[in-house]
Amino acid sequence: MTRSSNFVPMLVVGIVLIVLYFPIMLLANYPAAARALARGAVLDCKTALECSFDMRSPIIPSPAQLLKGFSSLYFPPTSETSVPYNAFFTGLETLSGLLLASVVGLGLAVLLVASRAFERALLPWLVASQTVPIIAIAPMLAVLLGQYGVEGWIPKAIIAAYIAFFPIAIGVSKGLRSPDPLQVDLMKTYNAGSLQTFSKLRFPSSIPYLFTAFKVSVTAALIGAIISESATISGAGLGKMLSENSRASDAVGLWLVMIGSAILGILLVSIVGWLERVVTPWQRNH
Amino acid sequence: MTNAIFPLVAVNDVSMIYRTRAPNGEALETVALQNANLEINQGEFISLIGPSGCGKTTLLRLLADLIQPSSGSIGIGGKTPQQAREARAYGYVFQAPALFDWRTVMGNVMLPLEIMGYNLTDRKTRAEKMLAMVGLEKFSKNFPWQLSGGMQQRVSIARALAFEPQLLFMDEPFGALDEITRENLNLELLRLWRETGKTIIFVTHSIPEAVFLSTRVVVMTPRPGKIEKIINVDLPHPRDFDTRESPRFFEIATEIRESLRHGHGYEGNE
Repeated sequence: MTRSSNFVPMLVVGIVLIVLYFPIMLLANYPAAARALARGAVLDCKTALECSFDMRSPIIPSPAQLLKGFSSLYFPPTSETSVPYNAFFTGLETLSGLLLASVVGLGLAVLLVASRAFERALLPWLVASQTVPIIAIAPMLAVLLGQYGVEGWIPKAIIAAYIAFFPIAIGVSKGLRSPDPLQVDLMKTYNAGSLQTFSKLRFPSSIPYLFTAFKVSVTAALIGAIISESATISGAGLGKMLSENSRASDAVGLWLVMIGSAILGILLVSIVGWLERVVTPWQRNH
Repeated sequence: MTNAIFPLVAVNDVSMIYRTRAPNGEALETVALQNANLEINQGEFISLIGPSGCGKTTLLRLLADLIQPSSGSIGIGGKTPQQAREARAYGYVFQAPALFDWRTVMGNVMLPLEIMGYNLTDRKTRAEKMLAMVGLEKFSKNFPWQLSGGMQQRVSIARALAFEPQLLFMDEPFGALDEITRENLNLELLRLWRETGKTIIFVTHSIPEAVFLSTRVVVMTPRPGKIEKIINVDLPHPRDFDTRESPRFFEIATEIRESLRHGHGYEGNE
């Protein structure tokens, strides 16, 4: 599939979402607007319908409010309080977390495949590590690492990696086991050593699995990075902005940061997709 | 290995028994091959023919040291199968092409050469030569999925020939292909065999294919898998499409069919 043929359906879904946005927004804001009017609050609007579009603290902001907020929160992009500036740092943390997760995940995958006994011993602990709520572990890890002078983006990358390594370890271990038995036999007829079988057969076989895992991991890592930012409220990042805006009860700001993190997520997944096309030119569905 | 007195491949009283457990825990013994004896000379084209479960693939895998016999012994050019495998004495073509998706056609043919430590110039020259031999030199930069099933199998043959082993094991290489493609590839294989003088051991369940290709046909029957009869194919070379219509061709095919039936090979199942 080409990029342009991907873009049209995406645009259609976007338009549908915008069309649906109005009724949903009205449904969410109307009762609150009606209550405010009934209390006799001094407002610039006369009917509840009108007020739904212009609440000070809307449940779902109106498109006009979002646009207004957009120009102040997204411009100039280099400002320390802008969404793009903070998204850049969150993105960097996510990608470095993903890099770290790849190293750990690949290493674990090799160990998992190397011996069944090792798999039985290790796998339950890996699963357990993922059932711990990240929101509980993130501040703790940040404090712990802070004691050793590890601050700034590094603890966030580590927390992102903590969530991201698991799909990579599981995906790659499946990939390392994926070669056809005939291909394994073939290597045996060449009298290939186990290192050669790994580097020429098992590892290349696992690369498509690695990228599938990456697509899952990158979004998980992004959430990890945002949660750790909002837990520590230090440095820069979308998570820090979310915490500040929610303390200031800035609903429009919260929505704009959420939209920013969604865009960042799409961007990161497309980077992974682009990387996959470059690294695996042999795959037919590119 | 060019000793005229001793056979290149010697199979002495070889049995292969698989021990498994039934769902109720009872121990089961499957005799995949029973007391097989076979001698193959240098330069022969031997077909192993028989229905599923007659042990023909088992015998080939035993020769290739992909499995080890329960009893008996095998000699390949005076070596054990393991020594022969370690000396890279044979090439093996599997039922499926088993190409590596991530390598181009050229890359696939160069794979054994990489493993065996040939330098890049050698790898390229040899791979190009082998691809030309199977008529695929124009497709060297394509990926496997861009090729038809028959072309993929030709790549796997080129790959098996790349390091020029004197002995070639082929396990139903054309089994998954349509009749027309199969007959063309049979002709190509025969030409290749005559040009290179290799010894080929070929597994098939097609009687015409076995007769057309072979110098001798080893007829095998199942339960337990064993060698029923060895039939000489005295059709003259070079063989072509007309060979398939000669009376002698049908006589030999009939003889094979009868010995398969005699061993109850095709009774009741396939």
